[in-house]
Amino acid sequence: MNRAGAIVGRIAQIIPTFFLIGVVVFVLARLLPGDAVSAMLGDRATDEAVRRITHQLGLDRSMVAQFLTFIGQAAQGHFGQSLAFRVPVASLISERLPVTLLLTLMATLIAMCMALPLAFVAAMNANRWPDILIRAVFQVGLSSPVFYVGLVLLTVFAAGLRLFPVGGYGEGLPAHLYHLFLPALTLALSFSAVIMRTLRGSILAVLRAEFVDFARAKGLSARVILLRHVLRSAAITTVTLVGLHIGSLLGGAVITESVFAVPGVGRLMVDSIFSRDYPVIQALTLVLAVLVSLTFLATDLLHGWLDPRAGV
Amino acid sequence: MTPTILLNRRATLGGVAALLAFQFGPAPALAATRGGRMVFGRYADSLFLDPVLNDANVDIWVLTNLYDTLLLPTADGQGVQPGLATAYEIADAGRTVLLTLREGVKFSDGTPLTPDDVIFSLDRARDPKAGAWNSLLASIEKVENASGKIAIRLKSPDATIIPALATFNSAILPRRAFEATAGATMEDKAKAFSEKPIGTGPFVMVEWKRGSVMKLKRNPSHWKTAEDGQKLPYLEELEFQIIPDDATRLLKLKAGEIDGTELVPYARVKELQADPTLRMELWPSTRVAYLTMNVRPTLRGAANPLANVKVRQALNHAINKDAVIAVTTLGLGTPMRSFMSSTTPLFSASPLYPYDLAKAKGLLAEAGMAGGFDLTCLTLSGNQDNLNNLTLAQQMWAQIGVRLKIEQVDNATLTARYRAGDFQLRTAAWTNDISDPGQITSYFAYFPNIGSLHSGWQDARVDELYLASQKEIDPAKRAAQYKEIQDTYNAAAPIVYLYETPYPVAFRVKAKGFVQIPLGNNIFEAASIEK
Repeated sequence: MNRAGAIVGRIAQIIPTFFLIGVVVFVLARLLPGDAVSAMLGDRATDEAVRRITHQLGLDRSMVAQFLTFIGQAAQGHFGQSLAFRVPVASLISERLPVTLLLTLMATLIAMCMALPLAFVAAMNANRWPDILIRAVFQVGLSSPVFYVGLVLLTVFAAGLRLFPVGGYGEGLPAHLYHLFLPALTLALSFSAVIMRTLRGSILAVLRAEFVDFARAKGLSARVILLRHVLRSAAITTVTLVGLHIGSLLGGAVITESVFAVPGVGRLMVDSIFSRDYPVIQALTLVLAVLVSLTFLATDLLHGWLDPRAGV
Repeated sequence: MTPTILLNRRATLGGVAALLAFQFGPAPALAATRGGRMVFGRYADSLFLDPVLNDANVDIWVLTNLYDTLLLPTADGQGVQPGLATAYEIADAGRTVLLTLREGVKFSDGTPLTPDDVIFSLDRARDPKAGAWNSLLASIEKVENASGKIAIRLKSPDATIIPALATFNSAILPRRAFEATAGATMEDKAKAFSEKPIGTGPFVMVEWKRGSVMKLKRNPSHWKTAEDGQKLPYLEELEFQIIPDDATRLLKLKAGEIDGTELVPYARVKELQADPTLRMELWPSTRVAYLTMNVRPTLRGAANPLANVKVRQALNHAINKDAVIAVTTLGLGTPMRSFMSSTTPLFSASPLYPYDLAKAKGLLAEAGMAGGFDLTCLTLSGNQDNLNNLTLAQQMWAQIGVRLKIEQVDNATLTARYRAGDFQLRTAAWTNDISDPGQITSYFAYFPNIGSLHSGWQDARVDELYLASQKEIDPAKRAAQYKEIQDTYNAAAPIVYLYETPYPVAFRVKAKGFVQIPLGNNIFEAASIEK
């Protein structure tokens, strides 16, 4: 099968996955104790008001009827109205998704910029002091809780040194990049530790591989060996790892988004779960599933390019 | 000079006429700077800016910046002052309220305010099928234009109708603009209309990015006049930034990126008071914090000790309210002295269950519970104040042999179990929405509404007094009714009384003139930024 065919095949596999995710999230959201109308109306609502609004929102229809409506709408790209915000879910998500995507992208780039050179330095100096120092520093980054790192960065670099704004998102792309730097750095600190350790391990393994000895024996320079052979081989695991991790970054930026007042989908998801805003929970899960699937597909393609044996 | 307005209020069933003078609310001592932008940090964004269909304080507390009501609550939350109506009169033995509409008022789209807009808005607000607040206007039979005045005809005299006309849900919207909004149903129209609200309030919304920022601009046609004879508001722009994290909100305030912020955690109040660049404001509120008890004889098939009034009184006597206030609110609270806050009209104080362990033990012994018992309290997970209160209660009650278990759940679960009566004890707090004791009483003490906070507590005399109080227009008689209701309720103790707290709001020193009334409304009409 040619590559294009393989890609189409992969995409075809994704469709039933989405359907299953749709079913699971629809059922799970409704298995949560409590209901949307009680959460929405709060403690004070009378039984009559709860009944009336449950009916208005169509939440008194059977689960099957509600599910069919949801799937029917989702297939046409409609996700209905948010129960809490009373606006179309699509507009809520389309306002916030770019924020989280930009944050994720920046965090990934920052993490790569920190991890790649340092992984090389660490691997080249395995078990000597630069390696031990780098690993120790990254270990701290990995083990510090995100909300704490975020607050420390805010206190020192934003409120203290006034180098960055204290949270928010700003207006216009330059302002967005400026506002998102500290939250992206917060996310990148723990992410880069993972990349650094994995890449360091891969480089060490590749350096011990026979083909590297062979390259050396052929008289290739250390630089060529490192860049052309070691980096390419070691990058394979790293690419897979980054791809897998972007998924968790996308959905996992919740705490960072709260601490830095970044209006992204992480916060929207948590708020929606607390308010049992079923249409938003369902749509957001599906959208994130699409993004994660596309990231995996891209990772596989990149993997295939780096290591032709892997195929797509 | 502060403008004063005479409001003609013909006294009601007694037939005695009285003239009451009102003062326009928040007026700073010195003329404020005009223009400029104030940025205010909020912990959560609004959800739905429709006065009738909203459900939450995040909406209610900012609606007054966009819309006006016929009457407005006074800054002390105890009464009403003129709003879109310059005067009101009660006639027809308390069955009609006649209101004189203010002349020359325009909506933010430039169209004039007419009696038709008032009739439309009140009819929509009282529609039993609309929203959660229509019961506040349930006594209205008809709203009509009576030769230039607005006549509100009541099914029967209603003591709460005047404060109800000063409550957010009776805000006046422009009929034509609302009806011309796209949407098949009134609710669809309300959704679309609230995206670009048109009102007579001091500000107009120009941009709203949900969860991030809401921008308001000065409404040039707003009707209120400032001390300098010019129109209010002072600010050119008012921006709400949504910053959910308390620590980040305060960092932003200290860095000067925002000019003010709400809900300062109690633990940070002293620190902000000591900062010369900031001004910590503590606004009197109607907020009370308490624990609701379920008093049904059996719960989940087991006997419930809280059914015995002596046990409930013992639990109250065993709580050292001053210690709770010192630990949870860092001294900012005051002990509750009735189930309603001391800022509620017709509040009647009593020395509510002073800390007395010997008496508590005695009451438990009288109830046949000298050996103590197990108790479980539901609470909202992650809420530090509630956890502090419960941890203290745990230690205090341990001294009389009561073993408290704390069960933390999320808000939707808490609400669902509460509504189903599936709890023994729960943490709770309350703020009034209307300047009248009727609302809080209907929830806490009047059983037919929501089963007295879903506690199962019922007292036929209290129910009867509450119904009578709703129609009682003689202030002295009504005060006597509310005294009896409070005395009876407080003696029966279906709640564990804790404390009242103010609203903690902090500003940069250059940001002035903000007012938060006891009902919670955030009022920015006289706010300004000094240059």
